Amino acid sequence: MVQGEDLSLLEVRHLSVSLRTREGEIRPVSDVSFTIGKGEAVGLVGESGSGKSLTGLSLLGLFPPGAKVLSGGIFFEGLDLLAQEDSALRKIRGQRISMIFQEPQSALNPVLTIGTQMRELFKSHTDLSDDRIRECVSDRLRSAGLPDPERVLRSYPHQLSGGMRQRVMIAMAIALDPHLVIADEPTTALDPTVALQILTLLSSIRESRTKGLLFISHDLSHVRRISDRILVMYAGRIVESSPSRAFFETGPLHPYSRALLASRPEGTGRTRKDAPLPAIPGQVPPLWSLPTGCAFAPRCSRADERCRTESPPWQSEGEAGALCFYPDTTPLGAPLHVA
Amino acid sequence: MLPEPSSLLEARGLVREFDLPGRGLFGPRKFLTAVSDVSFAIRRGEILGLVGESGSGKTTIGRMVMRLLDPTRGQVFFDGFDLTALKGRQLRQQRRRFQMVFQDPYASLNPRMRVGEIVGEPLLIHDLAHSPAERRERVARLFERVGLSSHDLDRYPREFSGGGRQRVGIARAIACSPDLLVADEPIASLDLSIGAQIINLFASLNETERMSILFISHDLSVVRYLSDRVVVLYRGRAVESGPTPEVLTNPAHPYTRLLVGRDQAVPVEPRNGESVSSGLCPFLSRCPDALPVCREVAPEHFVNDGGGRDVVCHLAARQVLWTPSSSSPSIQGIV
Repeated sequence: MVQGEDLSLLEVRHLSVSLRTREGEIRPVSDVSFTIGKGEAVGLVGESGSGKSLTGLSLLGLFPPGAKVLSGGIFFEGLDLLAQEDSALRKIRGQRISMIFQEPQSALNPVLTIGTQMRELFKSHTDLSDDRIRECVSDRLRSAGLPDPERVLRSYPHQLSGGMRQRVMIAMAIALDPHLVIADEPTTALDPTVALQILTLLSSIRESRTKGLLFISHDLSHVRRISDRILVMYAGRIVESSPSRAFFETGPLHPYSRALLASRPEGTGRTRKDAPLPAIPGQVPPLWSLPTGCAFAPRCSRADERCRTESPPWQSEGEAGALCFYPDTTPLGAPLHVA
Repeated sequence: MLPEPSSLLEARGLVREFDLPGRGLFGPRKFLTAVSDVSFAIRRGEILGLVGESGSGKTTIGRMVMRLLDPTRGQVFFDGFDLTALKGRQLRQQRRRFQMVFQDPYASLNPRMRVGEIVGEPLLIHDLAHSPAERRERVARLFERVGLSSHDLDRYPREFSGGGRQRVGIARAIACSPDLLVADEPIASLDLSIGAQIINLFASLNETERMSILFISHDLSVVRYLSDRVVVLYRGRAVESGPTPEVLTNPAHPYTRLLVGRDQAVPVEPRNGESVSSGLCPFLSRCPDALPVCREVAPEHFVNDGGGRDVVCHLAARQVLWTPSSSSPSIQGIV
């Protein structure tokens, strides 16, 4: 199949990526499927090592050394990305799909001014005149919430605060009006008050430009603020895909998603005097020694013999779905409010 | 003034300046004030949360409390001793009573030592075990206390996950049964599903061993869950403090309001290296409610005696609940 559906911007189908490591060959992305519609914001949640960052990088065709696509396809606006030549991919990257990284510090060139780096972006992807480029650059910085573009353009990355650098990254990511923006932990390195502002900004970009957004994060409260749909990854697999409302209000289907949500004290008003936090026992299994059956089974309160021996099926419940024998459909006690 | 009898630790008027490069031979000294006139107290058996953004001085305060860093001015009293005046053997003797848990369990454990040796080292240094066998026995008990298996004693730090390493760090910190733990962002580098386990461990150490904890974090929801009282720092100053539920549900300082997400209309971000005009409110350039007086006079401490709260803001003067504190810098609000 070459043609994606009409409304979908991006469609990932049964993608599996292997990676050679000292411990042997592992599969950090395993049979991953999801879609992002036009104007949709999808939040991808997972712990470190769950495969969420590699999934994001795959969409740009950026694979670390030792990585190999085993199977599956990535279709962007009907185009099979995995079948593209490097030169074609480079054109798509930045222009039609762009990425915002966690550490703007390491994604920006420290010896060039912001102005040089932003103008370079337009020069390499467009035929605009220098005057027109200058206008565009200032315009993008303003839409990224930097009210004094002239000062920013003259600055080197180290002369800006973390929040301002992240705004510059966002300005660069939206510079060429891409159709899909991938943001990998864009708020993690920021202070809480600045993180909120960046979330508001990302959210406004999506609304005003009918773009797709893939927001990768380990912070459920940040994901909640911005996403229409939530994907949860565990040990290389997507274990849940649910509409944001259903996920946070009715409650997630997968026991892992539920346990994650419950283990955070956010918005519950509980203190240590009330009860211990319902922590998930044990730890994430390393990818080179995954248990048979469901990878979460050893930590799961609902698991039985079947979960420990057979691979769980994908089960849907309306628009939500989970990779689980026993998805949890009991509504959460009270709607959670994330501070 | 003698330290409060009920408090285990009392920091009084702490100031820490760091020299900046660029001083000529006879030029003026250039320095950065990381912590400016911060006072607080930790009562016995209490968990005190210290919240603030990066650069707010919270780590510097933790290190001064631990005597890993000397304050430029101010004092730290620990159980009646002026820690800032202790030296050498006296300091070492006291040191086993206050211990630190670091943010990064990767960097704070010696990779060449077995974890059993790491946890046993404080017992050796403070001569708290009579024989190697007794030491090993005690280390095994510590391992079980923090949720590790005594079979792990001979493993190396690299063989543990982040959560496991943090448990080793905590076992080392509690080896000498300290009265106070200083925990600097202890869950910031841990996985989502592991953080809650470690939070519960701190709560249980406080509950069963009555350890007081200075819990330094930028994660408000964790501080809200764990701490009895909270000190909110902004650019080196304690702008507000008081009982956690009151401060976080009914914040008095505009910065605290911003932090708890009550107020999102504050557009300006702090700039790197932006200097605060000496003495004026550090939040002035971002404050949505600044009054003319804020640009002229430094705000003083206002206390709400009944509620045990303290806020450094001119706006508080306009509300009847708050009265100026008689002595500044004040610790009255938290006594």
